[in-house]
Amino acid sequence: MDILLQQILNGLSIASVITLIAVGVTLIFGLTGIINFAHGEFLMVGSIVTWLAVANGISFWLAIILAMIVVAVMGFALERGLFRFTLERPTNGFIVSLGLIIVLQHIVIFFWNANQKSVPRPLNTVWEIGGVRIASVRVMVIFVTAAVVAMTFVAITRSRYGRALRASVEDRDTAALMGIPVRRYITGVFVLGSALAGLGGGLLIALFPITPFTGGTMVMKGFAVALIGGLGNLTGAVVAGLILGIVEGLSAGYGFSEWTDAYSFGLMILVLLFRPNGLFGGTSGPKMA
Amino acid sequence: MPVSNSFRSLLPVLLLLVLLALVPLLSPSNRFLSLAISAGINVIALYGLSVLFGQTGILSMGHAALVGIGAYTAAILARDFNIGFWLSIPLAGIMAAIVAALIGIPSLRVSGHHFVIMTFAFGQLLSIILTNGGDYTGAASGLDVQQPVSLFGLSIDVLTHYYLMVVFFVALSAIASWAIINSRYGRTLRAIRENEKLAASLGINVGRHKIGAFIVSGVFAGASGVLLAYFLRHISPSQFSSFPSIYLALMVMIGGARLLLGPLAGGILVAFLPELLNLDPVQSRILYGVCLIAVILLLPNGLIAGIIAGWHRIFDRRPAQPSEPAVEREGK
Repeated sequence: MDILLQQILNGLSIASVITLIAVGVTLIFGLTGIINFAHGEFLMVGSIVTWLAVANGISFWLAIILAMIVVAVMGFALERGLFRFTLERPTNGFIVSLGLIIVLQHIVIFFWNANQKSVPRPLNTVWEIGGVRIASVRVMVIFVTAAVVAMTFVAITRSRYGRALRASVEDRDTAALMGIPVRRYITGVFVLGSALAGLGGGLLIALFPITPFTGGTMVMKGFAVALIGGLGNLTGAVVAGLILGIVEGLSAGYGFSEWTDAYSFGLMILVLLFRPNGLFGGTSGPKMA
Repeated sequence: MPVSNSFRSLLPVLLLLVLLALVPLLSPSNRFLSLAISAGINVIALYGLSVLFGQTGILSMGHAALVGIGAYTAAILARDFNIGFWLSIPLAGIMAAIVAALIGIPSLRVSGHHFVIMTFAFGQLLSIILTNGGDYTGAASGLDVQQPVSLFGLSIDVLTHYYLMVVFFVALSAIASWAIINSRYGRTLRAIRENEKLAASLGINVGRHKIGAFIVSGVFAGASGVLLAYFLRHISPSQFSSFPSIYLALMVMIGGARLLLGPLAGGILVAFLPELLNLDPVQSRILYGVCLIAVILLLPNGLIAGIIAGWHRIFDRRPAQPSEPAVEREGK
């Protein structure tokens, strides 16, 4: 039982990072119809920035913020420089993102080699409650993610910018006719999604050592989560992230750890078979004339 | 397309392959031959992908997984049943076709972008299954293929012979691909690519044809997997995960998926570009990625189609027939 609780906690902390990716992926898809597979590389760049900053004596907390800013700027540049030209044909955007995966991965390898990178744990305390050992760093990751996702959620459901965003997702042309600067919102969503990926990268490297190839697996799980919840559906992504975290934790706790990576894909395939729009219903991308 | 006209599209490919078959006369280095062999093996798989993506408009990110099925089938057949190279080719083709059907039937229930992600996930799943397969699949370290390849008692293990055999198989797959493109079946696939709803309203069973195209692409992939296994003599799961699939998609898109010359050009270009420019693997990967992005944004029909269009513009004075860009479907 104790081990089980611990494993669920472990699962949830990783799932937090995955949820951060899934939120970015789902927002970008919902508004632009672009499947941005390079989002995992955004996360990896966030990890690398954190690693570089910590190695240069900057505190971990500042490093995370730095990672968010750097990745957000990168997202802005890539949206303006590349994805902007694929808005009419989202499939081309997807292919561009495949190219970006390869480019970003190998630029990082080129400058900082392909070895594992890690930072000293920012929090070393381990609480022991009734025989359950709880690493505070994992709790921190879960809480930071929960707070950030909650903020994003409130901003999207309550603020007038969020309403404009949802209107643009619903119908891009009509929203534009109502005076919503849809293009600017697209850029904004890319920047927001990238910042979340940067944060996820910073949190991930606090949990595990990373390599330049980490992004690939993480983005697949992010997409699995986004699809299980329904692409374009923010609530769905969060709930699916929670489910995946518990499932992965349970599987590790009951000794099937070598199959952990398979669960997200298996779950996704099953969900898509029976509910092609995800558990909570997603959009099928922007409606194009 | 009239028959005489359609043969004109096959001719340059066969001509190029005949020239390539003469290359061993120039006594090329072993390194060159190895590169050419791996390029050729990729090209065979790319012809399958071009039927799927170029003709039917379905993008698969799990093509390397099907190549892997072919490679592992060959290795396991050789180990457990002592079945050699020549029988492995059809058997692996059938095996890959069966797996393609198993992947395709559920995946094609979902549309466009979901399908891409499904194939990606199946690719990852396969490499996880191969890694966890214990002794049967050799786990993470993979399997060895030790059987020699021979034809009429002549050993094909010499690099030059293997090269010629690969050229032969490339020619075979180019002809097969040409036959598909110019058949009634190929026209049906293109109808689905251009307008799925219209095709369905004409009585075409869209779902069945899509799965069919996926299975056809699997046969090509399976055969190329056998050639790969016997060439490398050692295969491991990481060779067939989703990243190799990205590279295959990249090659077919750089070359152009719709033209018969496209897969050949893409495969050769990607294999030899780093050699020509003297780049190390990391730099060349960066270059591939940049090339892919540039090709998609500037020449959506691929390099060859871009060159042909440019040629027409300069020398013909009459404008090249405007054709639909290749990579815009399924995004609806």
